[in-house]
Amino acid sequence: MRMGRLLLGLGIAAALASAQQVKWNYEKLAARASETVDVSLSGNMLKLAVKFLSDEDKDQAQVKKLVAGLQGIYVKSFEFKNKGDYSAVDVESLRAPLRTAEWERIVGVHSTEDGEDVEVYIRNAGKGVGGLAIIATEAKELTLVNIVGNIDLETLSELGGQFGIPEVEVEKKK
Amino acid sequence: MNLEDELRTALRRRDPSPDFAARVLARVQAEPVRRASGAWRRWVAAVAACLMLTVGAAGGYRYYEGQRAKAQVMLAMRIAAGKLNKAHKKVQMLNHRSNS
Repeated sequence: MRMGRLLLGLGIAAALASAQQVKWNYEKLAARASETVDVSLSGNMLKLAVKFLSDEDKDQAQVKKLVAGLQGIYVKSFEFKNKGDYSAVDVESLRAPLRTAEWERIVGVHSTEDGEDVEVYIRNAGKGVGGLAIIATEAKELTLVNIVGNIDLETLSELGGQFGIPEVEVEKKK
Repeated sequence: MNLEDELRTALRRRDPSPDFAARVLARVQAEPVRRASGAWRRWVAAVAACLMLTVGAAGGYRYYEGQRAKAQVMLAMRIAAGKLNKAHKKVQMLNHRSNS
């Protein structure tokens, strides 16, 4: 009986995590890309990764702190041989799943100089942030990031300070 | 017959029949050699070795999976942090331009 409840609970948790994941349809983009980076880490794999992340290494310790409460990390990065291998229509189709009440765009930068655009979305959960999505486009590159789970914005700001890049200042939600 | 006589009769020395030695030898040769205890030990050793190999392989696979997951997490965080940093830099740049 207890085992049944436990399995039911785990099933519901997995279904909820799956529901929170952004359903991007990128098969066509992947087919056109010359190189693809695909990171797909569900809750179980994240838990396993956390066990292997060192507390002594500064970068790893910081990442460990950040991913400990997450339910999934999904990153797709496509590199294209030529400019125009993907279109504005393709990018628009990637924005579509984020045009719901639960998602909010917090940053959207467009640069005509270097052709780099970055859009950052957060998923509003009851208490705090329930997820993060990034759509970043360059002339020959398109990157999608989806982090599922309760993200601490303070830790998120520390994340930018890692790997030798300046820290991102994120205003705390009141 | 009293008890003493009965014991004396029962414990009286008797010579074996002339073919006794031959019968014993024939029976010894006829019976298969029993090495049950040795075979059992070998089976136990084989099962233990299999178990150790299985546990070792499972541990090795888990270690490999853990290292792979760790590398993927670090890569994902690098990419996410990089993109956030780009957005941050651009926001800063725009703020700087609007202020000056």
